[in-house]
Parts: sequence; C-alpha cells; structure tokens
Amino acid sequence: MVNTRTVVYLFSVATLVTALLVIAAHYLRRARRSSRNDWEKLLKRLIAVDRSSIAEVALDIIDESGQQRRDEGSATLDAAQIWKLVGGLDGLEVLAANCAVLIDLAFYVQQWYPEALLVTEQMRLSAREIQWHVERLRGAKKTGKLESAFPMYAQRAVATYYLMTRRILALYELGNHVMLADLERTL
Amino acid sequence: MHLTDLDLLLWTAGFGAHLILFCVLLIRRRYREFPIFSAFIFSNIVRTVALFFVQQHGSKASYFYTFWSLGLLDTGLQLAVVYEMYSHTFRPFGRWARDIRDTLSWLLVATIVVAAGLTCLAAPPVRLWMQAVVIKCNFFSSVCLTELFVGMVVLAVKSGLPWKSHVARISQGLGVYSGIDLLIETGHSYFGAVRHTQVYAVLSHFRMTAYLVCVAYWIVMLWRNAPEPRKLPDSLRGQLIRLQRSANSDLEKIRVRK
Repeated sequence: MVNTRTVVYLFSVATLVTALLVIAAHYLRRARRSSRNDWEKLLKRLIAVDRSSIAEVALDIIDESGQQRRDEGSATLDAAQIWKLVGGLDGLEVLAANCAVLIDLAFYVQQWYPEALLVTEQMRLSAREIQWHVERLRGAKKTGKLESAFPMYAQRAVATYYLMTRRILALYELGNHVMLADLERTL
Repeated sequence: MHLTDLDLLLWTAGFGAHLILFCVLLIRRRYREFPIFSAFIFSNIVRTVALFFVQQHGSKASYFYTFWSLGLLDTGLQLAVVYEMYSHTFRPFGRWARDIRDTLSWLLVATIVVAAGLTCLAAPPVRLWMQAVVIKCNFFSSVCLTELFVGMVVLAVKSGLPWKSHVARISQGLGVYSGIDLLIETGHSYFGAVRHTQVYAVLSHFRMTAYLVCVAYWIVMLWRNAPEPRKLPDSLRGQLIRLQRSANSDLEKIRVRK
C-alpha cells in the first residue's frame, strides 16, 4: 500500500530529476555550441550598436585611456540624454548580449594561446558586471524606479562595455590583423 | 554473508578497473593535477581489498562496520572530487573568481536543503534503523552529487569559464553516474530492504555496472592527452601583460564613481 508520504516523495524526486535533466541538457547544448563556434558564426551573433553613442556615454565619465575623468566637463550627461544615447533598456540588453559574444571571441583567441587567460578573464569579469547592471535595471523597472536608477547603472555598464571592446580589439590587433578588420566593422 | 557469482564478478571487475585507472593516473602523471581524484581511486582499491579480507576472515558485524565506515569515506571523497573539479574550473588564478563566490555559496546551501528535504521525505521499509540510515545517507549523497554536477554545468556556461579537457571528462563521468545513482537510490528507498530484497540486489548490481562503465570511460579519457596548446610568442606575451596591467584598473575606476 502506497501512502501519501511515499507519493509526495516519488513526485518530488521525479520533479527534481526532470528539472535537473532539462537544465543540464539546455546548458550542455549551449556549451557545445560555444565550443564549436568559428570566427564567422561568432561575428554573426554580434548585434550592431551605434559606436559613437556608446563612446559618447562612456567618455562622459572616463577618458580614452580608461581613467576616470575628474575635470569640470565630465559627467555632464543627464538621465534623458543617457537614456536616448543608450537606447533605453533594450539598448542595454543588446550590450549584454554582445558581452556574451565578446567572451566567446576572447575564448576563441584563448583556444590558440591559453596563456591569454589573463586578458580573457578580465573580459569575462567585465561582461559579467554589465550583466549585473542590466539585472539591476530590470529590477528597477519592475519596482518603478527605472528613471532614477538608469543613469547610475547604465552609464557604468556602457563605460565597461566600451573599455571591453577596446581591449578585445587590442587583443586581436596583437594577434590577428585580418580578423581585426572584420571585428572593427561589427563592433 | 553470501555472495553470488554476479557479486564476485562485479567485485573483481571493479577492483581490476580501479587498478587500471590508478596505473593510468600514475603513468600519465595525472595525479599531479588531480590529487584528490587519485586518492579517491586509490581508496577504492584499498576498500575492495580490505572488504575482501574482512569478508573472508572477519565476522558479520565487523564486515558491516568496515563496509559502512569505508562507504562514508567514499562519499566524503566523492564530494572532495567535486570540490577539486569546481576548483579547477572556477579558480582560474588560484582564487575563486569573484563573480561566482556568492552564487557558489547559494548553490551549496540550496543543494543541501533540497537533498535534506527529499531525504526526510524518504521512508524506506526496513527491519533495522541502521538500514534506514544507510539507505538515506546514500540517497542524500546521490542527490547532492547530481545537483552539484548540474550546478557546475550551469555556472561554467553562465560565467563563461570553460572546462579543461580532463576536468570535463572526470566531471561528466561522475555526473552521469550520480544521476543514475539517484534513480537507483530512489528505488532502494521505495522498495526498502525487507520484502523486496531481490529488487534491492538487482538495483545494486545495476548501480555497480553503471559505475564500471564510468570507470572505463575515465580510463580511456585520462589515458588520452589533452589537446596541445600553441606556444605564445614572446612579443605577444609582453603586449598582453601590458594590456592586462591597464585593464586591471578600468573597472575599479568606473565602480568608484557615484
């Protein structure tokens, strides 16, 4: 005779096993896809962004070398301007999606030269930070605080993205000039 | 304790497979990279030998206590192997990557809570309280290992930290085996060790066979060498170091701004 406790137990285990299987299959497929990436496929995943807008938002708080600006002309963009230049939350989502591709691009280089880990790890952390900023903005949108939260988080995310793309370009400049031309066109 | 021919066959095959795997770890010098995994394999060899002698010359009680004491050690080492695989993947520079520390803590807590909850729900029909403890402990560890394996896959993909070749092979073997073991331990919990002793034995044989396949997979994969990395040219190395130095301060400067 099967009692209620046993039914709950079996149902719970079945639910857990199913959930674990689905999650594992989904992420293993993603991992496999990443490892099979080639240069062309990676570039196709990048979504075109307005590079001048990104630079304008980023260079409002940092200079070309990545140093934080402290002069009087820094941090002059207001919330509405940043919102417009970034393209709102959708624009940030595009940057977040491109971050994932940038990690794969860096990983692609690492496949040739594993010693490039130092740089790729920095890229990875930058991309993760942008994802974190986007998550915070999503949360702010849900709670109706997007307008006040957007400038603070979005500008940091854009600045991080800007620096990261520069680093990726520098990395490819060092390693492969033919690929660099493709990358510059896309980014 | 009566052992059938199938029991003896699986026992011998397991001993031989572990011996071969341990030789592979020594000959290919994998023990340097995976000391805990090597210790786990070595402990299985010692365990088999110890149990064989206790079974031949000891009492039923001494076999029981030796079996379960070594079983606990085995479970502990399996969890330590998981730690070693996590360590190889998520500590790229010898430190836990800072973006995954919190997630790792939550994963660990969630794993233990879910496994403990399910273990509490299990009510295997048994004659002795010790049998219930044994069945529940096995179930708990199989849930933990399976969850940690899936958690590792998710974390590695989400964080963009790739598995190295041999880490991936060891993890996949242990992960798939843990998943199968979870189903088998669920069966053990459901059927218990009173009326369905035949079912209990069949499930145990199935578990041992699955583990043998896993060990065979490890033997082949750990014998093979990982793909050769290309040599980083000195000029590129110098430029990368300079690039890295400037990159290090980038994020800090952005974070400071309020």
